Amino acid sequence: MNAYIGTSTSRIDGRAKVTGAAKYAGEFNIDGLVYGAVVESTIAKGRIKHIDASEALRVRGVLDVLTHQNRPRMADASAAYKDDVAPEEGSPFRPLYDDKIMFSFQPIALVLAEEWETARFAASLVRVEYETAAFTTDLQAQRNSAFVVEKPESHRGNADKAFAAAAVRHEAEYFIPIEHHNAMEPFAATAIWDGGGKLTIYNKTQGVQNVQRYLCSVFNMKPDDLRVRSPFTGGAFGSGLRPQYETVLAVLGAVKLRRPVRLALTRRQVYTVGYRPATIEHVAIGAKPDGTLDAIVHEAIAVTSQHEDFSRNDTAWSGQLYKSPTARYEHRLARVDLPTPCDMRAPGAATGVYALECAMDELAVALKLDPVDLRLRCYSDRDQHTNRPYTSKQLRECYRQGAQAFGWSKRRAAPRSMRDGTELVGWGMASGVWEALQMETAARITLTANGHAEVASAVSDIGTGTYTIMAQVAADLLGLPLDNVTIKLGDSTLPLGQVEGGSWTAASVSHAIAKTAGEIRKELLRLAQAVPDSPLANATVDGVALVDGRIVHKRAPDRAVSIADAMRQGKVDRIEREGTVQFEDDDSHARNTHSAIFAEVKIDEELGVIRVTRVVNAVAAGRILNTKTASSQIMGGVVWGIGMALHEETLLDHRFGRFMNPNIAEYHMPVNADVYDIKVIFVDEPDTRINPMGIKGVGEIGIVGTAAAIANAIYHATGKRVRDLPITLDKLR
Amino acid sequence: MKPPVFDYIAATSTDMAVAALAAAGGEAKIIAGGQSLMPMLSFRLLRPSLLVDINRIPGLAYIEEADTCLRIGALTRHFQIETSPVIARHLPVLSAAMTHVAHLAIRNRGTIGGSLSHGDPAAELPMIAVLLDATLHIESVSGQRAVRAQDFFLDALTVDLDSAEVLAEIILPKLPPNTGWGFEEIARRHGDFAIAAVAATLTVSDGSIRQARIALTGVGPTPVRAAAAETLLIGHALENKLVESVARAVRAAIAPEDDLHASADYRRHLAGVLTDRALHAAWRRAQGEP
Amino acid sequence: MAPAKPHQSAAVAIPVPDKISVSLNVNGVDVQLDLAPWTTLLDALRDRLNLTGTKKGCDHGQCGACTVLVDGRRIVSCLTLAVMKDGSKVTTIEGLAKDGMLHPLQQAFIDHDAFQCGYCTPGQICSAAGLLAEGRAKTADEIRELMSGNICRCGAYPNIVAAIQQVMGHS
Repeated sequence: MNAYIGTSTSRIDGRAKVTGAAKYAGEFNIDGLVYGAVVESTIAKGRIKHIDASEALRVRGVLDVLTHQNRPRMADASAAYKDDVAPEEGSPFRPLYDDKIMFSFQPIALVLAEEWETARFAASLVRVEYETAAFTTDLQAQRNSAFVVEKPESHRGNADKAFAAAAVRHEAEYFIPIEHHNAMEPFAATAIWDGGGKLTIYNKTQGVQNVQRYLCSVFNMKPDDLRVRSPFTGGAFGSGLRPQYETVLAVLGAVKLRRPVRLALTRRQVYTVGYRPATIEHVAIGAKPDGTLDAIVHEAIAVTSQHEDFSRNDTAWSGQLYKSPTARYEHRLARVDLPTPCDMRAPGAATGVYALECAMDELAVALKLDPVDLRLRCYSDRDQHTNRPYTSKQLRECYRQGAQAFGWSKRRAAPRSMRDGTELVGWGMASGVWEALQMETAARITLTANGHAEVASAVSDIGTGTYTIMAQVAADLLGLPLDNVTIKLGDSTLPLGQVEGGSWTAASVSHAIAKTAGEIRKELLRLAQAVPDSPLANATVDGVALVDGRIVHKRAPDRAVSIADAMRQGKVDRIEREGTVQFEDDDSHARNTHSAIFAEVKIDEELGVIRVTRVVNAVAAGRILNTKTASSQIMGGVVWGIGMALHEETLLDHRFGRFMNPNIAEYHMPVNADVYDIKVIFVDEPDTRINPMGIKGVGEIGIVGTAAAIANAIYHATGKRVRDLPITLDKLR
Repeated sequence: MKPPVFDYIAATSTDMAVAALAAAGGEAKIIAGGQSLMPMLSFRLLRPSLLVDINRIPGLAYIEEADTCLRIGALTRHFQIETSPVIARHLPVLSAAMTHVAHLAIRNRGTIGGSLSHGDPAAELPMIAVLLDATLHIESVSGQRAVRAQDFFLDALTVDLDSAEVLAEIILPKLPPNTGWGFEEIARRHGDFAIAAVAATLTVSDGSIRQARIALTGVGPTPVRAAAAETLLIGHALENKLVESVARAVRAAIAPEDDLHASADYRRHLAGVLTDRALHAAWRRAQGEP
Repeated sequence: MAPAKPHQSAAVAIPVPDKISVSLNVNGVDVQLDLAPWTTLLDALRDRLNLTGTKKGCDHGQCGACTVLVDGRRIVSCLTLAVMKDGSKVTTIEGLAKDGMLHPLQQAFIDHDAFQCGYCTPGQICSAAGLLAEGRAKTADEIRELMSGNICRCGAYPNIVAAIQQVMGHS
């Protein structure tokens, strides 16, 4: 029955991607297409006194210039702009809504022209007068006015007192700068009139239905009149969870001109749609000399915008992961005059667990314990927060298999004790933890008598492999060859799909398919039982499976009816079912994925040059649907961890309140030569409690802990502890 | 961001190119490989009204060997220099430096004339030109002139090239016999502009240094020759003590600045370490080691 | 409401330079285009020839997503004006497969899962095709070095190297 689930299956959308046939949001070329170009604010805060577009309008080929003064009507109420992922507190940014400037590079006008070059040129001719206001973009300057947003879910004991009394204490402050997703595809939207007043918007997004609901709300359109499609998404990593301004502007243009409009943002403009917030992490851990913990305190201060309170769980991981009788954690926000931050791969955990796992490494040094040994001494089989068991937790096995694959036992404990020629060698490790989430999701399956199935759900594939795992699950549950399954996704008209985030899509859509496949099986059994002298006459729906194009009795496989015969008998040439899966809130168990990361660095100490030469990431994430694409997810997460540790940082010029390096040359991401050997291990983690198929999701766990493992390896190599990321060459001096 | 509006002509001779430059009265720019100019246009750092394309001028891309020097046409692409056996034989330090110039797709288009005329303070080719005492041949409607590389680089992105002039040829003297070379570069990430780089040559006979050259990039607005440091080496064998004092002299000779990529202090530190390494490599090679 | 016509202004229109006729051979097909001088080869391919397989990731020569082969060599098409390539032979990702048969690099990228979102992939494959033609890279380290102009944000680098090695092994 599992011909495909759990195998190393190549992406079914691979051919489209390697031939250039896959069309992304800004690539739908149709006759009469109008090109948009954005005029950006050059000030960080204030208001627009005057916009003069007259010169831009004189450029041959320019159709219009939209500003807050002449744009088509949009909703007035702030609530109309709240999408599914919007922070609860605050008012979302409303592009071209009014004269307010809230951040530098804010879109303030849209030039529409017959050609892209013309639009760009004309945009440079729009003259703007501003009234400036005082602003701040400096987290350090604002940290003292930060406010608590996320009350600790539980205090365990008096952590501060326990910490003060602890025999061995470690306390330090860690820092993660603003980082940007920098997905390779810049945000783009193409709004096309389908006739009859209906709009289709091809948009780069992680959630077509979220964008669809948002646009209907903003433009007061009927759901049937506005369709959002995103068949391919050129990476997003969280930046595409919320509808972004390009989609609003494209619709504004299309409504104004009654023509199709494309707006593709420039790389610099992409920097204003969201970012990982700069975060100060303060961690204090107190322990007994034997390595059991007395107290964990974790406080974070992250930036948010003036207009929305974006916050994620940075600190509670520290209260959950390790056995400690006391814990306190607290998240604060500091307001700055920037766009609202947004989710970025493992939001909260990438940053918070970085701090926790560096702190644990420092504690291990203080205790003279091996870092793995320390983690085993405070290992917990229960969520320490809530004192609940996990549906499954094979972290211990991650430590064991990861250490073995890495050769950890050969590590010399003392810093600066390992060398390779002239280079210092460092070995470091860290734990990773993420949530295993699942969300209500629907799927439609259409089975035709020729043995072909179409499976449809409004989920997204942002490179995660959703197309492929959907096909694998459907093929196995319908007993069809993979090639006979067609997947439709990324279309708001399809059955309910949530935004692709939180690593929940694989579990959610797989169960939606399983449930719907069950309905198909039920109908096929009904038809099969109508066959004269049916060999399945007394079979129950749970007693049969679909295998190789037949409905087969599980206990007696010789009792079977072919799907074609059953459908012929019932005089149907297609069976269509739609099913929605909901996941019960099971408060009795905690649901998480875990990992153990081991990293080797080699360092030219004179120069400070750091190479991450080996990483082993051992992951426990329930059942792995596709070992090939899942490995790629983890590998990608590790590459992100390398970037986070060594390269990535969006710099601000606080005098202008502006990003200084909003481009790919000066925002450093790992390139091929920066990445060496990465080994991914999936630890066996059977889990029938979390959901019937035992799926947990792997999109985010790969980055969690990786930067800490590298930072810890750098300490081991050099004896120098750098706590503020990225660990650039000069910080080792 | 797109380039601003401009007109375009494809010159088919150097005379045509310089005539077009002169006629545009300072509003025209030469485009060769475009690998520096196109980003400048896109970022709106330049707004020429005319681009004069010199890619179609025949005979501007060549590497010719003469008795004492190599002549390189301004339109010669980076990859041609990188893979030229003649360069590898006579100026291996140049071959080595080329592999650090951006990435291959850029090197397939970018030209030596373009890189030198652009004068990026962190680029490799200006440093090599200064190291090797290159002579640059420049043409305009008023005729030709020659300028030493040492005098060509005036400031960051500013060279001794009038808006009506075009760099036509680069003359690089061959290295003397028994000359070893070293090239060391540090960048934040592979293929990025150098945070700092050092190139050095040492000509050695009878166990002592007869001629020494040290050039640096990334440590100031223009490439730097560390003349005082070079002098210290003459007449000596390379020893660690000597290298230390040379590195000190190099650090004293430069005025790096803080920027996004590194602090001035770190750059100064790097200049010393890289000088040390480049000199040792040059010394080894002068002894015939690989 | 009728579709908009170009804006009619009382003031004198701002002139833009005349378009220039450009001939290219793209994937074996001769094409003739009238282009504004500042049109990049990338925009000409994507917007005029509908060859959207060539991707725009940064428009500044920093990411490699727009890599194509011109006269057999890999270049970034965003740093090349189309008019400069008049008369050139351009190969894009759409031109690599022949008669429905994938280029060995395309198949190897699928086999090794050398991409995730797929947006950098055409550039990676064209760059790898250029790399193979150059014939210089022999080791994994050399491949890494000579493929570093192509950023993959999904982080598929080790798989990209493996895919290229597979093709090198067979050629």
